[in-house]
Order: sequence, then C-alpha cells, then structure tokens
Amino acid sequence: MGYSGARGGIDAIEAAEKLVRRKRLNADCEWVSPQQIVGRFRLAVDRVMGEAGIWDEELTAIAIRQAEGDLIEAVHLLRSYKSTLPRFAYSKPTDADELQVVRRIVPAFRNPPGPQLLGRTTDYTGRLLELTSEQAGQEESMLLASLALTDDQESLEPTTSDEDTQPRRLLETLREMDLLVDRRREDDPEPFDITRTPARPPASRSARLSSMARAETGALVNQWYRNILGPDGYLHEVTLGEVRHGYLALRIEHPLTGNTISIGTVRVTEVEAIEDLNGIDEQRDRFDIGYGLCLGHNEKKAIAMANLDIACHRDAGRSQLEQSLLLTTDGLESSGFLEHLKLPHYVTFRSMVERKIAVRESKNRERSS
Amino acid sequence: MTDLLDKLGAEHEHQQFGILDEYSKREIRRAILTAVAVPGYQVPFGSREMPVARGWGSGGLQLTLAVISPSDVIKVIDQGDDQGVNAVNLRRLIVQSTKVQETTTASDASIVQSRHRIPEDGLDEQHILILQVPVPEPLRGVERDMRELSRMHAEADYSKMWVSLYEDKVRNGVITQTTGYPCLVNDRYVIATTPIPRWDIPRLDQAPFLTLFGAGREKRIYAVPPYTTVTPLTFEDVPFEVEHTPGASCSQCGSNKTFLVEIPGPASRWVCSDTDWCERNSGKTQ
Repeated sequence: MGYSGARGGIDAIEAAEKLVRRKRLNADCEWVSPQQIVGRFRLAVDRVMGEAGIWDEELTAIAIRQAEGDLIEAVHLLRSYKSTLPRFAYSKPTDADELQVVRRIVPAFRNPPGPQLLGRTTDYTGRLLELTSEQAGQEESMLLASLALTDDQESLEPTTSDEDTQPRRLLETLREMDLLVDRRREDDPEPFDITRTPARPPASRSARLSSMARAETGALVNQWYRNILGPDGYLHEVTLGEVRHGYLALRIEHPLTGNTISIGTVRVTEVEAIEDLNGIDEQRDRFDIGYGLCLGHNEKKAIAMANLDIACHRDAGRSQLEQSLLLTTDGLESSGFLEHLKLPHYVTFRSMVERKIAVRESKNRERSS
Repeated sequence: MTDLLDKLGAEHEHQQFGILDEYSKREIRRAILTAVAVPGYQVPFGSREMPVARGWGSGGLQLTLAVISPSDVIKVIDQGDDQGVNAVNLRRLIVQSTKVQETTTASDASIVQSRHRIPEDGLDEQHILILQVPVPEPLRGVERDMRELSRMHAEADYSKMWVSLYEDKVRNGVITQTTGYPCLVNDRYVIATTPIPRWDIPRLDQAPFLTLFGAGREKRIYAVPPYTTVTPLTFEDVPFEVEHTPGASCSQCGSNKTFLVEIPGPASRWVCSDTDWCERNSGKTQ
C-alpha cells in the first residue's frame, strides 16, 4: 500500500511523540518545577485554572509545563483529566459578601464606602522591560527574602470579618441612594450546570455566567471589544462599581453527618459593572448592574464578563449576543475545531472536485443546446 | 470524610475501563436511547472533554466508550483508511483503555468508529457504526439563530432548505451539495449525514446496522436505527447523484464499484478510499 495523505500509522505517531518528549524533557537548560511555575507565572496559572474550571495550582503548573506553555492546551489537559473523575459532591452556595479582599478598587467614586486597596497590580507601573542583569535580579530577590517583604498578606488565611478585608459593596450604597433597578428575586432556582447540560439560547443567567466564567480570556475580551468597536455594537461602556480579588470559602455538605463543612478556599476576581439605562422601555432614572466572577486573578476576564452580562440582559434576546457568548467563547471548542482542519479531508475534497466538474458540464450542456 | 473519599476513589480505580467515569457513560447511554427512539432528532448531552481535541472525533469517541464492553471488537477508520494517523490515535486510546480486540475487517468488528466514510461492505445487524460529526446541524447553512433552528425542527419546517436546494439547482444546473448531504430520516427529521460522501447515503437507507452520530464539540447525539428510511432531499425530477467519474477505477484492485479518491499527477490515478476492502479484493475484481 503506502499511498497518499497522513498515513504511516503507529510508527509515525510514536516518532512524533518521541520528538516532542525529547525536546521538552531534555531541553538544554535547567529543569522547571511546578512550584516555580506557580511562584513565577501566577497569572498564567490563574488563567488556566479559570478556563479549565479546576482549582489546583500544582496540577495546573504540571499541565502548563507539559503543554510547553500553550495555555489552551494546558486547559485541555486539565479538562480531559477531570472527565475521568467521578463527581463526589456539589459545593454549597457561598455568599460573595464573604470575599476576603486582597485588592479592591471602586472607579465610580473617589471615596467609596470601604477602602480603595490597590494590592498587587502593575496598573500604574510604566511598562518598561527590566533589562537588569540576572545577577542583580537575584541579589534583589535575596535582599527581599531577608527583609521578609514577600507577600505575607496574600498568603493570609481568611480570619475575621473586618471593614478592610470585607468592605461593604458600592451596590448597597447605590441602593440606599435609590439609584438601582431592583432585580433581586425571591425564588432560589438551581444554578444551570454547563458541564452536564449544553447551554443553548434562551438560557438562564446562571448558564451565561458559568459559560463566561470558563470562557477563554482572549475570546471574552474580543467579544467585548467587537461589541464596542466592531460590527455588532450591542454593548454600552460601563462604569465599574467593584473590582475585587480575594479569597472565598468553599463548603460542602458532609456526606455522613449532613453538616456544612468548609473544605478550603479559592481565589476569585469579582466585578460589578454599573450600566446607564437609556432604552425607551427601561427605567431611565436608575442604573442596572452587570456581574462577573471567575477563578483566580483575571481582571480582564471578570470585567468583560460583567459588561457582557448586563449587555445580554438588556438585549433580551433581540440579537444573537447570547448565542455568541454561550457558543463561541470556549477555548477548547474554537481551537479544537480550528485545528481539525489539519486532519485529512480527501474524501470530502474528492466529492467537491466531482461537483465542480458537474457544474462545468452542466454549463457546457447549456451552451451547446 | 477522607475515608469516604478514599473509598469512593478506590471504587473508581476499578472503573477506569474506557477513560470516562461510569456516571458519564450512563448519561451518554441515556442520550443514545433517546436518539434511537426518535430517529434523526439531535439529543443534547453533557459532552465531556476527551483526551482528543474537540473537532477531532471527541463525540464519536464518547459514544464508542459509552457502548463498548470487553467482548467487543473495534475497527476505527478515517477517510476509509485504518492507517490514517487520527484513526490510529483514536484506536490506540480505545484499545489501551478497554483492552478490547481490534480489527481492520468490518465484518469481524462489532463496533466501527469512522470519520467521513461507511465501510464498503461487511456491516450487518450485529454491528454498530459510530460516525464522528463535526457539524450536526443540517440547517445551519440557511439559518444561524439556534432558537429559530429548534423551532424549524420541531415543526418540521424545512422550507428554507428546499428553497436553498432549488436556488442551487437554478444557479448551477446541478445540486452542488457535496458531502454531508441533508437527508430526511424516518420521514420526520432532516439530519446532517456527517460529511460522508453522497456515495454512502443510499447505503444508510434501510441499513441493517445501527448508526450513531456523535458531535462532541456541539454536544449532540443522533441516530439512524436499523431498517430506517433515509431519503436524500431532492426534487421529483432531479435525481440524487452520487460521486461518479466516468472511466475511473481503482489502480490497486480494479474496482469501479467503490468510492474512489484521486491521486493527482501527470497520469492521475484512482484508488479505493476503503483501504481494507481494497486489500481484500485486490486481484479478485480484475
């Protein structure tokens, strides 16, 4: 045999795998441990945990290393690993007011209730490439270690309630000023589980929010910007009421005693976006609020999410914005389908060539008749 | 708590047969039963992330792993070829995680997982054919809004599809739909016939075997049960045409009664896309 296309079977595959492994494991430089990846590439780790929907820094670091830094590939490794695990329990609802903040900003007021806490951010740092020598960098690192200035605050476990770590929401102030549309609901519907049921429009808000929480960060940013500047334009630029990063407790019901127990904390980014209502059928003397929350420290994603949440609510199914959010923002789906174009397509292509010739023959028959 | 988790974990260790956890398999089997009960209806399911990328057979793989048992014999093809690299990779995943027997002969298999082809022969009542589906929605070319699409299927309103076929015929003189030709199943639902060639469509009609369609990325499963009517959409006076090139025959086995693919070049040649059929029949047909 031995004809055409991507053939060669198991030998070719194994040779390709060997090439990948050899270059990855035997790269001509020092070994990288998962601890180093967690310690030095925390934003990449956080982003992958959010998109994978899994909270495990070390496992994520291993995935990023195995994926040679391709973050979507790392997400894929984690999600397909998750498919092999049975689901033991569902967590209990956690009130986001319990968030222990390590960063909190409120762009809507100069002096909001509670602190403006910049925390760990490069927002106001000039983006200058640090070209200091490796030696100087390491010396600074040792000096900082001896001064114990490394982020003690971030590693603090949540303790007691306190205005500095659990500030009041701006939302409450706006409610007191009677400036908000009240969309609180009395019923308590089960959240939509996007991992067990595919979300399709029209979907519940929880389905939209969980789809966005797991979406590929770049895809969500693009959805946002496309609606700001691109052809769609379903989106209003919001004013941010809250941008928070902090710790949330995770609780489950004990399978034997039935008591609610805490099984640890996760870090999340939470955003509340204030929307200026101006629609003819809207309460134009009030604001509305969009919400975003995702695993890890990922402000770009949470802000895009909050703005798209309120945009989708206001759109109320008039456009296909909801379909775009639910169906086109998953990184595994878009990149997997894109890359499938590399697979052999010679059966379909043969069929296409045959039709081209059929069209031509039909035209020739027409001309000669 | 830890004891309980360990216990549950230990139970799970024994259930590693076929990658997916048992709860997921059960869910997929339920979706399959619905799909068989309502031929051609696209059943939504909670598609799991697999160790192959979405768009690379993740739906077909989930179906195979949900229905397979240790006594099964598996055949996996891509473009009709057992040795296509993605077929090899999928077969390796299935065999490694289930330890089932593998074969290249369709009649020796109990489950055939395939991308883009139905094997030329050998499938009978005891076989399950699993097709990997990239795009399960046959009407997407004429309608993008999913809410409208579900209404159209629910009311069997396929008028837009008919209009598009009519316009195609008027503009081009022939219907130019290539592979994945839209078909009416059991006189009720229109399905996307994966991108199998038109050549394979008549072979789905009243087929003795069960065909399952798995779209992992789009999270849909549908089925053509044994002995079900599958009718390609066409007009009374426009006969449905399968791929045909006058004078072409396989340069390996001489067949002109199989689906052939071209090897381009100065002296262009043709070969069977079903490589196993071709090998078995080399020297017979001529």
